[in-house]
Amino acid sequence: MKKLVSLLLAILMVLGLAPLALMEEPIAISLYYSDNATLPFRQDWPVIQQLEKQYNVKLNFEPIPMADYGTKAGLALSTGENTPDVMLYLSTGGAYASYALNGAIVPISDYAEWTPHFNARVEEMGLQQDVDLNRLSDGKLYFLPSLYDLPFYDGGLIMREDYLKAKGFEPPKTFDDFYNIMKAYKEDFPDSYPLTSIVGLRVVQRMTMPSFGVSVGRNTGTGTGTLSWNYDTNEYFAGAISDEYKAYITFMAKLHAEGLLDPELEQDNASTAKKLATGAAMAVYGYYDQIGGWEQASEIEGLKLNMYPPLEGPGGAHHQPKSKTGGGLLFPIGVSKRADFEQVVRKLDEVFYSEEAAKLWCFGVEGDSYTMDGDKVVYNDTILGSADGIYKYMQNAYGTGCAGLQNVWYLENELTKYDENYARINADVAAMDNAIQYTVPVPSFDDITAEDASLLQTTLLDAFNVWDDEFRTGKKSIETDWDAFVQDMKDKGIEKFLELYNAHKKL
Amino acid sequence: MDAGGTQKGAPMKNDPLIHRRRLKAGRYFANNWQLYVMMLVPLVYFLLFKYVPMFGNILAFRRFRPLTGPFGVRWEGLRYFNQFLSQPDFWRAFRNTLTLAAMNLVINFPIPIMFAILLNELRSLKFKKLVQTVSYMPRFVSTVVVISILTEMLSPSSGMLNRLIQQLTGQPGVFYMNEAAYFRPLYILTDMWQYTGWSAIIYLAAITGINGDLFEAGRIDGASRVQLIWYVTLPTILPTIMVMFILRVGHLLSLGFEKVLLMYTPSNSVVSDIIDTYVYRMSIAATAPQYSYATAIGLFSGVIGLILVSSSNLLSRKLTGESIY
Amino acid sequence: MNKKPRIKDNNLLLDALIWVIMIFVLVACVVPFLYIIAMSFSSSRAILNNRVSLWPVEFSTEAYRQVFAYPNFFNAYGNTLFYTFFGTLIALCMMLVFAYPLSKTRLKGQGIVMKLVVFSMFFGGGLVPNYLLISSLRMTGTVFAILLPFAINQFNLIILINFIRSIPEELEEAARIDGMNYFGILVRIIVPLSTAALATVGLYTAVFFWNDWFYSLIYLRSTQYPVMLLLRNIVNGTTMVGEAGGVGEKAFIAIAIKSAVIITSTLPIILLYPFLQKYFVKGMLIGAVKG
Repeated sequence: MKKLVSLLLAILMVLGLAPLALMEEPIAISLYYSDNATLPFRQDWPVIQQLEKQYNVKLNFEPIPMADYGTKAGLALSTGENTPDVMLYLSTGGAYASYALNGAIVPISDYAEWTPHFNARVEEMGLQQDVDLNRLSDGKLYFLPSLYDLPFYDGGLIMREDYLKAKGFEPPKTFDDFYNIMKAYKEDFPDSYPLTSIVGLRVVQRMTMPSFGVSVGRNTGTGTGTLSWNYDTNEYFAGAISDEYKAYITFMAKLHAEGLLDPELEQDNASTAKKLATGAAMAVYGYYDQIGGWEQASEIEGLKLNMYPPLEGPGGAHHQPKSKTGGGLLFPIGVSKRADFEQVVRKLDEVFYSEEAAKLWCFGVEGDSYTMDGDKVVYNDTILGSADGIYKYMQNAYGTGCAGLQNVWYLENELTKYDENYARINADVAAMDNAIQYTVPVPSFDDITAEDASLLQTTLLDAFNVWDDEFRTGKKSIETDWDAFVQDMKDKGIEKFLELYNAHKKL
Repeated sequence: MDAGGTQKGAPMKNDPLIHRRRLKAGRYFANNWQLYVMMLVPLVYFLLFKYVPMFGNILAFRRFRPLTGPFGVRWEGLRYFNQFLSQPDFWRAFRNTLTLAAMNLVINFPIPIMFAILLNELRSLKFKKLVQTVSYMPRFVSTVVVISILTEMLSPSSGMLNRLIQQLTGQPGVFYMNEAAYFRPLYILTDMWQYTGWSAIIYLAAITGINGDLFEAGRIDGASRVQLIWYVTLPTILPTIMVMFILRVGHLLSLGFEKVLLMYTPSNSVVSDIIDTYVYRMSIAATAPQYSYATAIGLFSGVIGLILVSSSNLLSRKLTGESIY
Repeated sequence: MNKKPRIKDNNLLLDALIWVIMIFVLVACVVPFLYIIAMSFSSSRAILNNRVSLWPVEFSTEAYRQVFAYPNFFNAYGNTLFYTFFGTLIALCMMLVFAYPLSKTRLKGQGIVMKLVVFSMFFGGGLVPNYLLISSLRMTGTVFAILLPFAINQFNLIILINFIRSIPEELEEAARIDGMNYFGILVRIIVPLSTAALATVGLYTAVFFWNDWFYSLIYLRSTQYPVMLLLRNIVNGTTMVGEAGGVGEKAFIAIAIKSAVIITSTLPIILLYPFLQKYFVKGMLIGAVKG
């Protein structure tokens, strides 16, 4: 009897342990992540915990402050030392092409059979062409981009709706309307600067310039800084010294001179919030998910913020151009020396591009952050009741919807995290005539040309930023100093720069 | 171990002179080998961390390729020198470096001397000690802390200075840290704040070393205190001042890189972009690092620095009879 | 001390002027710290209404509570302590065994090594060659990138050499005759007699490691960052501490939090400095005798 019991126990134990023995050690993968100060990374985010459990993987994130991210990634790639297995939120546009062509980055398209989930998403979303635009001059793809089925209008002009209503203004359609509203506000509150920004002037620039038919400056449009794309003729033009830019900067200088534009734009989120909260500003170029926090911080009775579709200017009504592919997974060459290289790639493909994982990155863990009501996603009460808004709250509490982590974006799914108002605005924007234009694919330079181009780019952009600042703030006159500016840009080689880009353009 | 010196020609085996030399060398070695062993680790270390990078400067003439180590892959001659010499940005950085350095020298060189002289005139020893202790301290505060405090105090919305100005004049706040016009004054002021007390130490020591008889003689001649400062103190510490001045000129180009980097914003870059920050921007901090280009600039400014130091040293030897190194 | 005889003419104006200047110097040195201390201990409401100047208003320790509740802060502080302690230890050992042989002018080869040392003070590899060296030694991302490359500072080395030279030769000779070898002499005679110089050099080195942020930025991983780099990241807005990350009311005390980090990261230096002052000054003077 006793023997039988112990035999039984032994069998049970073996059976009980068998699944454990079959389960392999979790595979450890190190990742660079670009950490956003307003959304500090947490390894204990439920989404990450769940992914590690579900896919039996150990994700060792190294969060790097966003401002230093390019530096750190560049240093690691150029020396090949101290590289992680994968770097998130990067593409091979611009400088990184040179790393790729010099063999510092794994040509991931050579291993397409290891990334079945990525391939499936690309096909499902119909993005093959968009993905192919990321191929370099050797025809290879050096990173797995993040994928968007439709461009969304998640940020733009945000304004005090309560003020518009109180003064009987219609929602603005053109920059003239906008100007009149700000003018009225300035009269009512002479101490205010009606238009402010988040982070810095560059957010305003990239969101407003396209309506003037140009996109120049830091992280705008073409990514070249001083060139722009002509969407009619499909070629680059020297945007910085064009009449389009002249019209734009004249408008901005007018705003500045009349005290309509906040002179202190390089600021943290808290300062923006403070200005909107105290009525020191009434309009801002920012993101929809920030509205909740700003309204909550307000001391003004009845303050109500809303987002408006892009305004019409001389170049039509356009928002900043967007691509259907974005920064994604870039594999430094070191990872290919790992004995389990294939497993690493397959695992990452699963973690970032599989259907279930994509749902996790978007909605969080089912039964925790949301439940399904038929085919409708219902978030839990804490999320729904949060004053920050669903999107922002979920980012902080669950780790969903973070740029750089989530790599598969369906507009429809994203809309569940916003109110109906947001869906309506997005529908309005979608109905407009090409409001969100495509971004121009980065030309495929060879190594030497890439070096010349990037030297010109840095020099031109730095000089442009200074001129732009002086024109806007009135330190230089647009009328009398314009020719000197054009000459300066020519001296610094903008024509050669333009030639390089047009000679190597992809479209 | 060749401690016995080098010899010319092929020595005969039984040459007694050589034999004696060998013996001597052997004894020298037996006596001193421990000292050489001791030196071995730090010397190798020293050569590795100071001289290998110096050799690494050849990257200025060679093309850098990712993953191929620090010395480049192919000779490029003067390509990178030609590149930066024709760059307006480089010349801007060059001018900015010289201007900032010269302004800093003109203002912050005499101030510690005046401070030391005045401090020496204090009759209350306790108070003197207090001033010394407090004024040396900023030297030990990190530049990050200095600039952080400065940023807080000058903040356009909440800073002390702007609030004060606003209350007094009703003028709106100025974003000092972001305005090109204020960069140089702020750099010089913070240098003054950090180093005046510390730099005064050397002059204080020189003043303390002055023979009391000189003052006594001056007193008897009826000289006032101001006259004593002018005719006794200053001339006696003049050699010290000279040496310090030459030293400073020799190090003219070595500005506080870390401080400038912390104060650097795109808006004030017209004046705040110095050679060091330019090199940093073009290499380590760039998304498209130009290592060879940056090394060429680094080498260029390094050589200028070397020329400055050696010529100032030569000058010092001529003028004061003392060479510093 | 000052050998100058007491001067009895009552130039009161000059005295008054000097006092005014010196008081101004004192105030200028202290006010920035008072301001930051006041900010760090004030309530966010008081800060928001611009009521704080040099004294805490509506005393509150909330900023410190939030800083201490932020795990990265302790991590960074621990890193700083680690680099300061071990960095200084390594530097002292390295410089001591280098300085002792170099202090002997009779030693063959000493002159050449000294020339090498002095030359490297004025010319070296720039930023890029240094970075590429550290990275090809595979030290990036390890604490050795901070601990090792800065161990020998030429200026400090010269201070040590000069000091050791001033130790009477007879002491060593006596020990040699007693059969003690050079290692024994270094440990039993030189080290005990050089404590003042070692303290000076050690303090300079410790201050360097405590204050460093730039090399940590380019060489280390973010989990290895020291507190000064954390402070730099907080001030330039790339990192947020405590609940300043959220929007809304709590964001406004960001100023108080920055101030609290400034104070906590500088406190050791401010507290220890008055007691150690004489060592710092001594080093400055020894070093200046022969720079």
